[in-house]
Amino acid sequence: MYPDNLKYHKEHTWVKVSGNKATVGITFYAQESLGDIVYVDTPEIDSTIEAGTELTQIESTKATSSVISPVSGTVVEFNEELGDSPEIINEDSYEKGWVAIIEVEDDSELEGLLDADEYEKYIEEEVKLK
Amino acid sequence: MKVTVLGAGPGGYVAALKAAQMGADVTVIEESEVGGTCLNWGCIPTKTLIASAEVLHKTRNAKSFGLELEGTISPNIEKIVERKNKVVGTQIKGIRGLFKSWGVNLVEGRGEIVSPKKIKITNKEGSTTEIETDKIIIATGSKPAQIPVFPFDGKRILSSDHAINPDSIPKSLLIVGAGVIGCEFAFIYKEFGSEVTMVEMMPNAVSTEDEEISAILERELKKNKIKLLKETSVEKVDVKGDGVSVQLSNGKTVEAEKVLVSIGRAVNSRNIGLEAVGVNTGQRGDIIVDSTMQTNVEGIYAIGDVVGGIMLAHLASTEGTVAAENAMGGNSKVNYDVVPAAIFTSPEIGSVGLREKQAVEKGLKYKVGRFQFRALGKAHAMGEIVGLFKIIADQETDKILGAHIIGAHASDLIHEIALAMEKGLTVKDIAHTIHSHPTLAEGIMEAAEDVHDAAIHAPKK
Repeated sequence: MYPDNLKYHKEHTWVKVSGNKATVGITFYAQESLGDIVYVDTPEIDSTIEAGTELTQIESTKATSSVISPVSGTVVEFNEELGDSPEIINEDSYEKGWVAIIEVEDDSELEGLLDADEYEKYIEEEVKLK
Repeated sequence: MKVTVLGAGPGGYVAALKAAQMGADVTVIEESEVGGTCLNWGCIPTKTLIASAEVLHKTRNAKSFGLELEGTISPNIEKIVERKNKVVGTQIKGIRGLFKSWGVNLVEGRGEIVSPKKIKITNKEGSTTEIETDKIIIATGSKPAQIPVFPFDGKRILSSDHAINPDSIPKSLLIVGAGVIGCEFAFIYKEFGSEVTMVEMMPNAVSTEDEEISAILERELKKNKIKLLKETSVEKVDVKGDGVSVQLSNGKTVEAEKVLVSIGRAVNSRNIGLEAVGVNTGQRGDIIVDSTMQTNVEGIYAIGDVVGGIMLAHLASTEGTVAAENAMGGNSKVNYDVVPAAIFTSPEIGSVGLREKQAVEKGLKYKVGRFQFRALGKAHAMGEIVGLFKIIADQETDKILGAHIIGAHASDLIHEIALAMEKGLTVKDIAHTIHSHPTLAEGIMEAAEDVHDAAIHAPKK
């Protein structure tokens, strides 16, 4: 449920970096908490974003939530497939259900993120607190 | 007492009926058709078009309700307009019937004030008559405002008057102005099959609404693939053989088959004799009135769109009632603090009282309660989960300062709060009122509870 090759942000997003391109999406836990996703808003392409701020918003049958960017950079691509089929995120939140690609200048930010084991522990704690 | 009303729109006809009920000898002068803009070119025509668009939308989404549709569905614009005309026709008959019933004398022609006691009427054929009167109520309304460099031609450059009577659905439509009128038409034409682009000078669509409501509507525009260009204005319009080329302030050019200009409305205060009797007007020609709806000339009242301010049919009707009562010797006033308003976008918007920004500007101490439509069982059953209830309440008195609803039936739902505000009730009063289940109105109760962080169907904060 939490692939080892990804890095995780505490706001329940993941990132996979290849060169200077960071692919970003929401975690299995996030999609499960949201329930059926009905709409993914398009982030503004070419806009710059800071790590820890809102990349875009996702609407599910339960709630409207912010997708928090795990990295800083320039938003260069949105997963257009989500426009007509937002439910892809529920089906496959790590591959087909990626949300956006962000061009990063400095990948040192990744060190501050969690690995799969740490993230899994973190959500266990979070669930207990709830 | 002889009362003469200029204009039989929602302001004028209500004023006429009220005065007649109070025993006046009433004449109404109307140069076009009873019901005015509201009934003939505004509220009612657009709502019938929206009704057609909604059936179309629901049918197209039949599958999501477990329904199999054989064949396709498409709009027949001729039939849609025919239905609209039928609805309008029925309402016109209704008003004419009420005039007859209350003995209101309807004169068809154009009225011009000669003196506070005399009005000249010119009929269609050009012949004139003069009538004597004791009091005058001016209710001449407004018309679509146009941009002088590209005036309406009814073919390529349309006003809302044209947009309610389309002879075809344009492949592409550029709407100048994303206010109430522009947004309503955007959803209608998009559903009927046009590619719709909107250009708006302000930073938000429906910029007079609460900012949270605007933001939700903007997302719905996006979901419906209606393009909205904000903080953008039109620089130049070139009408060509097969369409219109529009140059924008952002340097881009948009091509469209037709352009709808919906930048607001201009008051009808010219050539009705205001100068002859010295009625004061403001910068935009709006007639200046006091709190009793009387102009600076004794015995001459003005109501509705022609006095400027908020141009709403129901406010015109209220002002008409007040003017009629005062013309008959009363001392009535309008409560402008509680004016509910409805926007028939998809989904609808209902609002009353202060926007949150206004509460901030006034330096008020307030609390906000919110509740999402998607937290209501009824909203899910209806397949209408988009929306928000928002109530702004005074922190100390708990009285409601304003409320904003976007979502299915918001235009009807808002009135519970309008009544509460009119009567000075608190949010606790609403929260303690039992609301039927399952209804959308439960959202008002929950939002009222949420002002004190006590909504039942919302997570702990």
